[in-house]
Amino acid sequence: MPIAHIFDPHVGPSSSFSLFAVADGIDSAARALPAWWHVTWICAVIALVSAMGFYRWIMAQSEGNERMQEIAQYVRDGAYAYLRRQYRVVAIFFVVVSALLAVMAFGLHVQHPLVPFAFLTGGFFSGLAGFFGMKTATSASARTAQGASHSLDQGLKIAFRAGSVMGLTVVGLAMLDISLWFLYLYKFHHVLFGGEPMSLETITVVMLCFGMGASSQALFARVGGGIYTKAADVGADLVGKVEAGIPEDDPRNPATIADNVGDNVGDVAGMGADLYESYAGSILATMALGVAAVSFGGVPEGFDNAFSAQLAFLSAPMVLASLGILLSLAGIFLVTTKEGASMKELMWALNKGIWGSSALVVVVAMVILPMLLPASIAWGVVAAVTIGLVVGLIIGYGTEYYTSAEYKPTKGIADQAVSGTGPLIIDGIAAGLMSAWIPITAVCIGMMVSFGMCDGFDNLAMGLYGVGMASVGMLSTLGITLATDAYGPIADNAGGNAEMAGLPKEVRERTDALDSLGNTTAAVGKGFAIGSAALTSLALLAAYVEEVRVGIHREAAAVYQVEEGAGYTAVDLGFGKYGLYVAGADGSHRENYTISTLRSNAEHAVEVLVDGKPVDMIINHLGGSVRQATDDPLISQLVATTPAGLFDFMDYYQVTLMNPKVLVGIFAGVLMVFVFGAMTMKAVGRAAMAMVMEVRRQFREMPGIMEGTTTPDYARCVAISTAGAQREMIRPSLLAVLAPVLVGLLLGVAGVMGLLVGGLCSGFAMAVFMANAGGAWDNAKKLIETGQHGGKGSDAHKSAVVGDTVGDPFKDTTGPSLNILIKLMNMVSIVFAGLVVKFAPEISSFLGMGQ
Amino acid sequence: MDIHLYLMCYRTEALVASQLEAEEFGSYMAVGTRKKTFGNVVFFEIDPTFRSTEMHLEQVEAKCKPHPDGTPRRSKYMSLYRVMERVPLSAYGKLHLTTRDGRVLSLDGRDFDEDFSSEGPFMYAELCPLTSRVVSHLNPKAFTQRITDPATTVHVPRIFFADTQVELDKDGRLASYLPYANPSHIEDCLREVEELPNKLGKTVDRNPPLQAFYRTIATGFYLGDSTGIRFYPYPDVATLDAEHHTWWRSASMG
Repeated sequence: MPIAHIFDPHVGPSSSFSLFAVADGIDSAARALPAWWHVTWICAVIALVSAMGFYRWIMAQSEGNERMQEIAQYVRDGAYAYLRRQYRVVAIFFVVVSALLAVMAFGLHVQHPLVPFAFLTGGFFSGLAGFFGMKTATSASARTAQGASHSLDQGLKIAFRAGSVMGLTVVGLAMLDISLWFLYLYKFHHVLFGGEPMSLETITVVMLCFGMGASSQALFARVGGGIYTKAADVGADLVGKVEAGIPEDDPRNPATIADNVGDNVGDVAGMGADLYESYAGSILATMALGVAAVSFGGVPEGFDNAFSAQLAFLSAPMVLASLGILLSLAGIFLVTTKEGASMKELMWALNKGIWGSSALVVVVAMVILPMLLPASIAWGVVAAVTIGLVVGLIIGYGTEYYTSAEYKPTKGIADQAVSGTGPLIIDGIAAGLMSAWIPITAVCIGMMVSFGMCDGFDNLAMGLYGVGMASVGMLSTLGITLATDAYGPIADNAGGNAEMAGLPKEVRERTDALDSLGNTTAAVGKGFAIGSAALTSLALLAAYVEEVRVGIHREAAAVYQVEEGAGYTAVDLGFGKYGLYVAGADGSHRENYTISTLRSNAEHAVEVLVDGKPVDMIINHLGGSVRQATDDPLISQLVATTPAGLFDFMDYYQVTLMNPKVLVGIFAGVLMVFVFGAMTMKAVGRAAMAMVMEVRRQFREMPGIMEGTTTPDYARCVAISTAGAQREMIRPSLLAVLAPVLVGLLLGVAGVMGLLVGGLCSGFAMAVFMANAGGAWDNAKKLIETGQHGGKGSDAHKSAVVGDTVGDPFKDTTGPSLNILIKLMNMVSIVFAGLVVKFAPEISSFLGMGQ
Repeated sequence: MDIHLYLMCYRTEALVASQLEAEEFGSYMAVGTRKKTFGNVVFFEIDPTFRSTEMHLEQVEAKCKPHPDGTPRRSKYMSLYRVMERVPLSAYGKLHLTTRDGRVLSLDGRDFDEDFSSEGPFMYAELCPLTSRVVSHLNPKAFTQRITDPATTVHVPRIFFADTQVELDKDGRLASYLPYANPSHIEDCLREVEELPNKLGKTVDRNPPLQAFYRTIATGFYLGDSTGIRFYPYPDVATLDAEHHTWWRSASMG
């Protein structure tokens, strides 16, 4: 590799761009933990302690009679059996990927050495949150049924507090993970391993990588849980209900326990892992964007130096999300209702909590953000946070409009059931397609307004930070929104427990009311999950570019050489990239200003900033030769002073719609959504078929089941569903992980950007469509079951059952998994950016596709 | 073990002797000992002392014996075809309604000789020996007398049928909760019967699907001929849900 010597050219007026490295500027010895950091861990601990308190309170409640306890134990055993097996498979995946990341970090030097560990902790905490959530949920169902035998309020309180354990555990563990990683990287890493303190850029980028661990765990939980729950559901319905005529939740149905377990593994553990990832991802991406905003956009007014500005922008999402935990906790205590409450009153009980927390977040943001950020920026960020919350609520209630049986779209589907299955399917698809307009419009408007409010049209990086803060705002009340979401399956299981245990009519009526409310809150929760995925994805896209920059940095850092006595040494990395070594005054060096990526030519020069000041140098990208600026009259005009921004990277990597690699990437992203969707739905079909065969076998070989004299082999059905889910989740999950890497290596950064954009746009729309169409079909069936259009057993009902069967994998397997697909592809791209940056140009060149 | 006599009369007729109690028998007939059969079963409990050589009941003790392993004889068919008409009305006991998954609801019967205050039109699901669904001006008593009247050219010796719901909304449409296939045809039939007072009845469907059958029952079941009528009143939905919840949930499945 040729060594390029750096000369000392003249500098003059700027006509182009320069490079980006910004030094820390803070003496490592003077690096003290900022006071706000304590808010983050304290709030995280409060969340976890509160969750523990709720858990103990729930466990102190009566679990009812022996039969209720027996049924609850079946469900618990099934859930643990599922989790054990799931975690075994996931552990293998994590070991393999960690090993790959270790090779990337220590062998290829294209990733930070801490990334494998960050990846593991992200996955571990996400899994832990799912485990605690499911442990609580499976313990709470019988207690909720027993509570409902006393009063509606008691039933609601137990179910909702059990959901709150999930919500608080997710936000508590996520914030604790973020807080501890920040502490370690900021304060202790350089002490333990020597060297300079990490720059805030490096800290945020390394932390962002733990998002891949969380995303991977979330994908397995969502896809596996989704396949499990629908295999059990379809098996229970097709054989139990349709063939044998056994009602829902009848203990004679061998698949009924698996069905109840499925509610927990899909809607509690799956949803928890999903939103853990969204929550952590939005905070981490916004932190990274905040730091990058200073790097790219310069030091804003009101700050003394770049470091203090970066620290302030980094702090805002962490502090706001932390305080959001406390406000969610306050909201949880607002959720109470009176005996004999109507559905509207029950809904109001939950809305009090959600709206109360949201309003408080806005108030707190108005107080806290001006304390952290200069007033000129803070109010824009406050507006972005408010917009995020509003967008979340709009998406949630838009989802409710398109899926609730109280509104026109679902009523219309039920009306079509009278004409037959075909019209019902057509109308459901139409309603689902149309339903996409609310979340997409809300996200688009929210994105534009939050971008604009943070001055994005003048300062791109700051605008992106605003969008990131909007997503943080949307998820700041996750503690309570997830509680309302996890509450649904708990109430559903409580209803099943009451039915199987033969509890009196008034108890069943109460659990039915709680269950019905849970269906609506679950729809709202899914809306939040989808909306946050879309908003977070823009932040993650920007974070990807930041990771690309860091990837080039690492590539250079791994190869630079020091020449004796030379002040500057540049290493030609090929494809227009140069590594630049700048010696420090004390003979040391700083990695973070050792890179040059951008091409100089007759009209453009690149420049490196050290401590915010330009280093006088010009590197010619052609052939690694160097020419003295003074030899060329043009050079005197080529002094770049603006650090390279996002657009410069886009330019360098030719991320333009005219580049076929981008378009091919977009197509690949769209294809990913469709192929992934097909694979998950096929997986449900295969897993369900195994369950159908097993239920039929048990009816055939165990004649006492139908007479009620023999207990079905519930465990076998649970095992079949579990095995099916684990077997079937591997291929779609591998596809989601491998595709961004392969596309990156073949099509480079431009292709990856296309892939992410294609995946985001088509995945978002498809996820909304599938979730809402499935929800609408389900509720249309439930509407008919209330007696409309002939009620149960009628032709209309038969059509609606078909619609519901089609919609089941739509809304519970593929739709929710697409959220994670979008985010996981982003996260994988971020983590593997260094690999792509280093090897993609060589592969592309080898294949004759340019750089 | 006691021997019970059951008369199955849901579209097909059979007199069956069994050592099972009615609930066990209903479950057995609906789902079998191995899950190979599905379907609603309706049967009467017949006075166990009733004997008839015509239906080979003098052999019932000999034929309906426990299995060699001591388990009770579940079913021994004693007579098929035109059984219902040959058992005297006085021998009919409870009516047992069995769902597809074997849940049994037992209805007590009583002699019936009342004229309904309701004017109709009525819709009847004929269950045995006819299987049509018909609408008619005639109330259950008149309908029974008319269709079993030996003086008419078209009659049956005895009829078993259910009075089914035909509630109309304010627009004259069949109430939306009723699970009938082709509701607009039923509305047309009702309108035709109303518009033509001389038309005593109209066949809605010669072989109607009995989907969600138990959800369609109005006043109850009628078994009768020209000599008398046995009426088996059907509980209202609130009573079914409250007092027979398990059965009603199962019955609501279809």
